Amino acid sequence: MTTFSMIVIIFLIGASIAVSVIRNLLGAIIVFMVYSLTMAVLWQQLNAPDLAITEAAVGAGITTLLFVFTLRRVGGGGK
Amino acid sequence: MNNIQREAERSDILTEVGKLIIPFIQVFAVYVIFNGHLSPGGGFAGGTILGASMILHRLIFGWDNLISRLTYERVMKWMCASLLIYGALKGYSFLTGGMHWEVWDIPLGTPGKLLSGGFILPLNIAVGIIVSITVYVFFKLFYEGTI
Repeated sequence: MTTFSMIVIIFLIGASIAVSVIRNLLGAIIVFMVYSLTMAVLWQQLNAPDLAITEAAVGAGITTLLFVFTLRRVGGGGK
Repeated sequence: MNNIQREAERSDILTEVGKLIIPFIQVFAVYVIFNGHLSPGGGFAGGTILGASMILHRLIFGWDNLISRLTYERVMKWMCASLLIYGALKGYSFLTGGMHWEVWDIPLGTPGKLLSGGFILPLNIAVGIIVSITVYVFFKLFYEGTI
């Protein structure tokens, strides 16, 4: 396990705690997107580029989009 | 519908960047689907990228020629055809492989080239179509409430 991977894992732990702590819902979604993108980098570091592509497309792209649209539909943004 | 039309305000920066970048995203998605048996990627990842490009197109350009052609009936026709092709090919592969039948098999091609890997390439194409349409339908359900 290289130093870079350790730094990324510590960042992931911090981000996952921050998602559940942050009160602003839009901010939580964006932190979750950053978590997914960092997770894609970590998959690439762990020699799984297939999973990295899927994580970057689904986790950072589609899921965030659906979360944002759901937030807009329920009117929870900006609080 | 009127609400949606009003939301899609034309922004010059978005329109120009979208014109520039969406073809590259779609070409990359097709590359990922077609090289699924040779390099990282495959039907699911490429289909997701293709669906994301369709979502981006829908968000930037609103209702124009390309997206308005993706009606519910046409999309479901494509999806059902892909599912049937997937089921037929995979069922044939399972049956002949599991029972050790010496019947016709798809030509294997040369290893390392695009036409190789037997059934993997058509199965990847079918999965790519299914996943891209599923992602687009999810987006429409969340964005407009209807398909």
